[in-house]
Amino acid sequence: MASLLFTELLKLKRSSMFLLSIAGAAVAPLVVVVATYVNEPSTPFKELFYNVNLYTVLIIGAPLYGVVTTYLFNREYVENTIKNILTIPVSRVSFIMSKTLLLFMWIMMLTMIAWFLTLFLGLLTQFDGLDISLLVESFKEFSIGGVLLFILSTPIILVTLVMKNYVPTIIFTVVITLINVMGGSSEHRALFPWAAAGDIANHTLPSTYPPEYSYTAIIVTALTGFIALIVYFKKADIH
Amino acid sequence: MSEIIKTRNLMKIYGEQKSVDHLNITVNQGEIYGFLGRNGAGKTTTIRMLLGLIKPTFGQVEIFGENLFNNQKSILRRIGSIVEVPGFYENLTARENLLINAKILGVHKKNTIEEALEIVDLHNETKKLVGKYSLGMKQRLGIARALLHNPELLILDEPTNGLDPIGIKEIRSLILSLAKDRNITIFVSSHILSEIEQLATHMGIIHEGRLLEEIAFDKLRERNRNYLEFQVSDDNKAIMLLESQFGISDYEVHAEGNIRVYSHLGKQGRLNKAFVENGIEVLKINISEEGLEDYFTKLVGGGAIG
Repeated sequence: MASLLFTELLKLKRSSMFLLSIAGAAVAPLVVVVATYVNEPSTPFKELFYNVNLYTVLIIGAPLYGVVTTYLFNREYVENTIKNILTIPVSRVSFIMSKTLLLFMWIMMLTMIAWFLTLFLGLLTQFDGLDISLLVESFKEFSIGGVLLFILSTPIILVTLVMKNYVPTIIFTVVITLINVMGGSSEHRALFPWAAAGDIANHTLPSTYPPEYSYTAIIVTALTGFIALIVYFKKADIH
Repeated sequence: MSEIIKTRNLMKIYGEQKSVDHLNITVNQGEIYGFLGRNGAGKTTTIRMLLGLIKPTFGQVEIFGENLFNNQKSILRRIGSIVEVPGFYENLTARENLLINAKILGVHKKNTIEEALEIVDLHNETKKLVGKYSLGMKQRLGIARALLHNPELLILDEPTNGLDPIGIKEIRSLILSLAKDRNITIFVSSHILSEIEQLATHMGIIHEGRLLEEIAFDKLRERNRNYLEFQVSDDNKAIMLLESQFGISDYEVHAEGNIRVYSHLGKQGRLNKAFVENGIEVLKINISEEGLEDYFTKLVGGGAIG
């Protein structure tokens, strides 16, 4: 697995997608901090972290990480390299696991970039209320958001592997975002896994349902996606 | 001579279409086996099944005497392959691309990558990204990648496809030298008969998923040699005349007084005159000019190859 992970990292060398994803992750901190600085400069630092994490998990996360997911998995088909990898041979499960591990690292890196940029820009624009406990708590909330979005990436990987194209994945993640936005004020939003992820990360789960319902929705979605993608990929013909 | 590849009733069905239909091929050690067929005949589907990329609907594949689907990992480690156009990570150099394979294969020997690049004459392209390579260079790099772990069997799917004449010649020389110098068994597919003819020691012809013929090239050439065919009234007398007067020994006698003469092509007039002068009645003269291409065209039912 270590060798596979090394090769996955090597494949990213000189990759423009890497820089593009960083630019994508920087959008939420930039927009939130600048907009807050212009409109409400007296907002406490805590609000900055909250808003950036909210936008990252609910709005930007699904499409951005979706594109990263598609790039990681779909490029093997686009660049016609999957036939080489699988005939080296690499087991199909190891192939999926190494890419999934890299996806986790990538998502967490982007999450950390968003957190660090919020901190940096907030300090630069001199927002009040920053202390160690806020740093620790916000870091934890960002991390939870990143982990939950990673867990929920399994259905997106499945769509990528089945459709072998960027477009269906982008549509899928845009639909997720739309539901997140449209259901933002709904008391039932905690049942939608991606919206629930945002609420769990920011401690804003509505009291309509017990928290277990949200966790179950996330776990069921992630597990179903994972099992389906493994079963599919193990059986799929590679053309 | 041991069997390296053996398929038994191999089938792949997509919907109602039999892409590969009860295919039985045998490739022995040391052979360059040319797998010839028109586009869409089932060559690539067969190769994908040989490499475990797609699962057969029915049938078995044995490689190195073992069932492929029970021992896929250990078998594939002994094979180098190119399926269609070799794919590479275009943002990486040739060396970095090969490093990916070397890492996964656990090839730690120093200079392995250099040696593989030297074989295909790409060792000087150290900084060029593969995205900037020509198709010919990519094909050569594909062969270097396939050779990285010293395979016993090379499976190459149309390795000269899309190359210019110089590129084709380079790849052909490379394949021939690999078979000769490294004693690698090679399974190579193509839709170009002349390509297979110049490369292979054995040939399997596939058409609409079915194997039409599997034959050694020596035997095929023997069978498809040009000849003069005489139908004469007395074949014994005719043979004696051919041997004594013309010194001809390369002939065959077939039924009903048919004599096939494989030498003295173009001298049918002289032979005919001699027969007549010696009281042998010549009933028919046939000049066979069937080449391999005619043979192939006849076999697959007419039309152009490709």
